[in-house]
Formats: sequence, C-alpha cells, structure tokens
Amino acid sequence: MVKVYVNNDEVEVPQEALVIDAIEKAGYEVPTLCYLKGLFNEATCRICVVKVNGKVVPSCRFPVSEGARIIVHDSELIRLRKINLELLLATHEIKCWSCVRKGMCELLSLSKRLGVEGLPVCSECPLQGRSCLVLRGFPCLGPLTVAGCDAECPRRGSPCIGCRGYITSEDVWVRALEEFYKDNVSLNELKSLISFFWSYLPQNLHRLVREVSNVEY
Amino acid sequence: MGEALDLGAGVQKISEFVVRVPLASCTLAAGADKVLESIKKALGKLGLDARVKKTGCMGLCYLDPWIELESSGLPPAIYANVKPDQVERIIRRYVEGDLSDALAVRGEANGFKGVPSLNSLPEWRLQVRYVSRNCGFIDPESIEDYLRTGGYSGLRKALKLGKEEVIKVVRKSGLRGRGGAGFPTWYKWRIAYEQRSDIKYVICNGDEGDPGAFMNRLLAESDPHRVLEGLIIAGYAIGASKGYIFVRAEKPLMADRLEVAVRQARDYGFLGEKILGTNFSFDVEVYRSAGAFVCGEETALIAAIEGRSRTRQRPPYPATSGLWGKPTVINNVETLAHVATIFQTGLEEFTKYGTERSKGTKMFCVTGSVKKTGVYEVPIGTRIRTLVYELAGGLPDGRSVKAVQVGGPSGGCIPADLLDLELDYETLQSYGAIMGSGGLVVIDDTNCMVDVAKYFITFTLAESCGKCLPCRVGVKILGDILEKVTSGTATIEDLEILRELGEGIMKSSLCALGGTAPNPVLSTLRYFKNEYEEHVVMRRCPAKVCSRLVTYEINPVRCRGCGQCAKNCPASAISGQPGKAFKIDTSRCTKCGQCLITCPFGAVVKV
Repeated sequence: MVKVYVNNDEVEVPQEALVIDAIEKAGYEVPTLCYLKGLFNEATCRICVVKVNGKVVPSCRFPVSEGARIIVHDSELIRLRKINLELLLATHEIKCWSCVRKGMCELLSLSKRLGVEGLPVCSECPLQGRSCLVLRGFPCLGPLTVAGCDAECPRRGSPCIGCRGYITSEDVWVRALEEFYKDNVSLNELKSLISFFWSYLPQNLHRLVREVSNVEY
Repeated sequence: MGEALDLGAGVQKISEFVVRVPLASCTLAAGADKVLESIKKALGKLGLDARVKKTGCMGLCYLDPWIELESSGLPPAIYANVKPDQVERIIRRYVEGDLSDALAVRGEANGFKGVPSLNSLPEWRLQVRYVSRNCGFIDPESIEDYLRTGGYSGLRKALKLGKEEVIKVVRKSGLRGRGGAGFPTWYKWRIAYEQRSDIKYVICNGDEGDPGAFMNRLLAESDPHRVLEGLIIAGYAIGASKGYIFVRAEKPLMADRLEVAVRQARDYGFLGEKILGTNFSFDVEVYRSAGAFVCGEETALIAAIEGRSRTRQRPPYPATSGLWGKPTVINNVETLAHVATIFQTGLEEFTKYGTERSKGTKMFCVTGSVKKTGVYEVPIGTRIRTLVYELAGGLPDGRSVKAVQVGGPSGGCIPADLLDLELDYETLQSYGAIMGSGGLVVIDDTNCMVDVAKYFITFTLAESCGKCLPCRVGVKILGDILEKVTSGTATIEDLEILRELGEGIMKSSLCALGGTAPNPVLSTLRYFKNEYEEHVVMRRCPAKVCSRLVTYEINPVRCRGCGQCAKNCPASAISGQPGKAFKIDTSRCTKCGQCLITCPFGAVVKV
C-alpha cells in the first residue's frame, strides 16, 4: 500500500494502482472519454489529465507513487481538457438530429459540463432520432442554432426559430443544409426563417447552398 | 589537431603513394564514385603504383567530393570539389611537387609552398575533433584501421572494471545524452543495471530524422566501430545479452557499414560468447526501420522492433520495462561513440571541454544559408555566432541572418540578436529551442518566418503517429491557422488561439513528438510577432514569400519589351507589344514566379 494525497486528502491505495483509482477512492471525479476500466487505458484522448507533483499526466495510465500529490482540478487543467475536447469536436461530424445515441452521449454531456461553445440546439433536444422535427419535414432551425436553451421550443413540438443565434462553423451549415434539402424544405422558406433575427448569416451562404443543392439561390 | 593526425600515422609511415577517397552517402551524392573511377584510370595511365584507400567523410560538406593525396617526401594534400576530369592533372602535378591546386596540406604547421595548413583554416582549427577524430582518416570497413587508432582498447579497459565501476566512470565524466534531451547517460544505465531480469537489452538509436541533421549518419558511416564499441560497453555495464542498432532504412549505407562492423567484430572476438576471455556474452543486430520520424522516440522505437509502431505513455520507462517488457537502455549514436572514446582516452581528455553542467563536445550540422555547410564538432557552450560566422564562414554575400533554427522540427528559432547564446541544453531550453540532435539551420532575411513555422508544422503533422488527440488534431489545426495567416484570411484572435493551442498541445501530448511539435510556432510567435501581425493586419508578407499576399508587377521603366516573360508565362497572364512595356493581368496570374526568373532586365518585381 502507498500513501498519496488527492487535493490534500490522504488516501492509501495498492502499489500497482493508477492515479485515477486513487482519485476515485478519495471521492473525487475526473472526466474520461477513452478510458474503460480494465479494458482500455492507452491514454489517447488526454481528457483525464491531472497534475501529479506539478506535472500534467493522464490519470488513467499513470501509476501512483509514494507521497504523490495529485491535483484533480485547477484552472490550467480545465483549460487543457477544454482544448482537447474542442479538438475532438472539431473532427466530429455533429449530426445530432439523426444520431443513434439520441442525446445519451458522453461527448455532449462532457462538452456541456466544461462549457464548450458552438454545439447546436439538437445536442439538447429530446426529439433526436426518429421523432426529430427536421427529419419529419418541419423547418426547425435546431441544427443551425447555438445550444443553451435546453431546446425549449422543439421539446414542446414547435420548430426552433434560431433566437439564440447561428453556429459559425461552415461544416455544420453544410450538413444541416443537406438535411433540409433532402427533406424538401423550400429554400426560400428557409431563407426567410434564417433572416428572421438578422443575427448572423454566413458570408457565403449562397455558395454553401449551391454546393449542397446545385440550385441557384 | 595534431593528435587526429597521428592516428593515421600507421598508414603514413609506409613510403608509397596513397590516394584517399571519401565514400559516404554525402560524398557519393556529390560524385565521389565517379572520381574514384577516374582516379583508378589516371593511376593506370600515369603508371603509378598507388594504393587507393576508401575513407569516411571529414564532415566538411562544402568540399565534397574531396580527395587526399599522400606520398613520401610531400605533405598530404587535400583537394576540394574535385571533378572526374581534373583528377589526372591533380595527380600528375602532385607527383611533380606542385601543390598549388590543393586546398590545404595536412601536418605542416605553416603550410607548404603557399598552400595553407589544414590546421590554419578556421573551420578546422576551431573544432575539437573528439568523437569524430577518425572521420575521414580511416577506412570504415576495416577493423584493422580502427584497431591501429586505439580501437577496442576502451572495451578492454571497461571489461577489466566491474560493472558498477563502468557506470561510475560514465557518471564522473558527466556525459549527457546527445540525442536531444540531455538525460544523464549513467542514470539510465544505473536504473537498468539495478533491475532484476535475466534478459536485458541495449539499443543504439540511429533513427536520425530531423531535416538538416546528419551527424549520426556521418559518424556511423565513417567510424562504425566506435559506435559498436560504445554499444558493447553499455551492454556490459547493464548486463545485457543482446544489442540492437536501430537505423533508418533511408540510410542504407549506414546500415551496411554497421553490419560489416558487427561481422568483423564477431570475427575478432569482440562480440559473441565470452568476449575477450570474460564471462560476458553479447551480440548485436542491425535493425532497419521503415523510416518514421516518430521512431526516434524511445517507446515508438521499441514498438517498431516489436513489430508495431506507436508510442506509449511513460512510465514505465524503458530502463525498467522496455523491449519485450525487459529493461532496455536506449542511447544515441553519438552518445555511444562518446562512451567508447571516454574509455579509450581517459576522463580528463573528455571533461576538459564543455560547460560546468554539460561536459564534452557535440557535433553540430550547420546548414541553410551559410557558405560552408558541414558537420562541426565543438565543445558544448560554444556560441552560435562562432559556429555560424567563423566555422561555417558566415552567410552568402548580401544576406543577413534573421534566425537560426536549432534542433529540427522539435526545436525553435533563435533570432539574430540572440546569436551570442551558448549552445547548451539549459540555455537553449530557456529560449524556447532545444538542442535536439544538433541541427542548425541558418535562416536569412529572404525567408518569411510564418512560412518557416508552417514548413515545420507540415512536417510534424505528416509524421505524427495519430495516437493521441492533441498531436493528431491539434497540430493539424495549428497548420490550418498558419495556412490562414499566410493567405491573409486570419484574424488577430487567431494568433492568440495559436499560442494557447500550442501551449495546450505541449502540456498534454503523449510523447515528445507532440510535446515539442508547437515549438517552431511558439518560438517564432515569441520573437517575430510583428511579422505575424503584418500578415494578419496589413495582409502583407514582409519577406515577399507567401504567394497569396504577393502580386507580381512589371516596372515599365526597366521593361524593354522583349516578351520573354509572356512566352514563359504558363497562365498567359502577361500581354503587351514588342518594344513596349508588358503588363501582368493580376486576375489571371497564378504567382508561379516564372516571369521573375526569366526577365533578363530585372523589370519584374514582387509587391
């Protein structure tokens, strides 16, 4: 058994334990994504980083040592986790409206917890999957709108009107426009919807629409 | 360097005519094989009974291909940049006693008939040829040559000492790893020595992959036995039974020569069962890697030998659990050559050079915008200015130094006003660069620093193994933002993202590749922020390199209307009438720069 200090709380853990085991034993929680206890700890996602004796290390892989001082959260660690999460989202196709996970998604819940911006309203919508308004042909602006309202309107069966402002990522726009086009939402209708608040319109909306639909717009 | 000279003495005493031709990858690329052929032809034609001796390379790359002639009664003379058709004349005049074509003579302190002595040339005089003492003198494929220069005497000495004694000697020398991080060599050995395991391994890391670094290749191609001897000593010290020499497949000659050296050492009893009558048995295998940059990292190197090739999180460190889970010591080529030399020549010879914290010498490759490209071995703590201006002869005329990139893609750019920095591990680290394997790329004022940073990031991006998130995605996004900066579409916030993201990648990456990858960006952002800002705010590239921010124009005063530019323009963007000033249609121009090259009057300008 070795003694370690998690946020100044003393815990005793077995010699071969990992830092994450010590943190759990001390009653703290560290966010993880790629770690599966006992199955996978290759430390690839770098979300579970903590500080051991002042050094940033992945807690799911790093072994404990006698007298190690572990810091689970501080401003730098939270920033690093947020950077890594944003990097992961940057390569992630956000298509929550048709995703099989229906919002039961670790990536989204972690993003919300860490305050990552730029996710669509769909990420909070309980109508994901088959009952999605977009998939049912309604002109719901959820896929294009910044989340944070807990999807109040779609929750009550009314399409999102984009009052929180639109997402600035071009990729998200392309995917959403594809979806709208597929469901035969009239592009003129969409345009009037989008320009309802005049909050944000991508500079190259015309090009995006052309790219997706081959229709002059 | 009188000592290095004596090493070849065994050959010099023979009163015959000797021609030395360096055969290493660098000289072969410059045409040494053709020179060798014409030497053989010329000797036959002149009826000279001469011995043609193949040697390694001296490291003075700007002389390639050079040859050395030696005959009784005349000092050995070095001829530089020899072309095959000059060989016959050079040999004839040398035999007649006319050395006026020679670059330098060896041995004579005051020169010979107006030809300067090699020791009087600054690029040779300021060097301390410690570990590279044999490079360019001995035949790398002959163990007898190496033995004549005191070879394997270090191994004999080490085998007489106990294992702990050997580690103690290395500890006293203060030798630090020459591969980049500067980790004390003895400490690694000590940890591996203390592990209880029946099987242990030593690995020589010859996976040198930095652009602009070739000292390991040069050393192993010119003096392979020295590396091998160091590896055997390391194996003895930690109690290993097997050693690997890990060589990039892109350096086949290096691998071939090391294989020859291993075979010869086996024949002479320096490898195999019960080496030199002791109880120590050891064998070495040369492993050719496929050539991934990431394999220079210890855990990836081990994985590559095991048949995979990805890094893993440390700890456990290789010294406790490395190859096949056994204790493994990994040392750089140059480190091991240092070990052999320390045991051959004694501690004092080593410790009299260097700084308080880092002893000894280090080989540096000076490339880029300098007159004399080459490998220079200097004491650690030598100033960058000395290396660039005195040894490498400064920059070509009319150019001035803007920055020096130290340590390859993991290193950083040191700006011109910090040229008086001393080259040692700690100093470089505190200024945002690393020693790395010792490559110095001199960047002159015609280069755009954002473009330089983009080049290195593109390199690391291609070489990232893709296992951990910050390196796989973060470096890609760094590259995307740099692309935006160089094409003039970035905003001032992007620069802040660059810095924050770069620092995040360095802190949270899995291995040293990602942990150092943002260095070129961060160091250029630190020292050349104004250049970044000019790209972003003014949409202008001050060095006129970034093609998206540059337009080509024809100066109507200088243009004579010859039409050469219009003929060579691949986009047909130039029009005009003969005799009158031509014009570039900027909407059609692809900014390839052909007109700039072809204009005989210098009328095409970049704006």
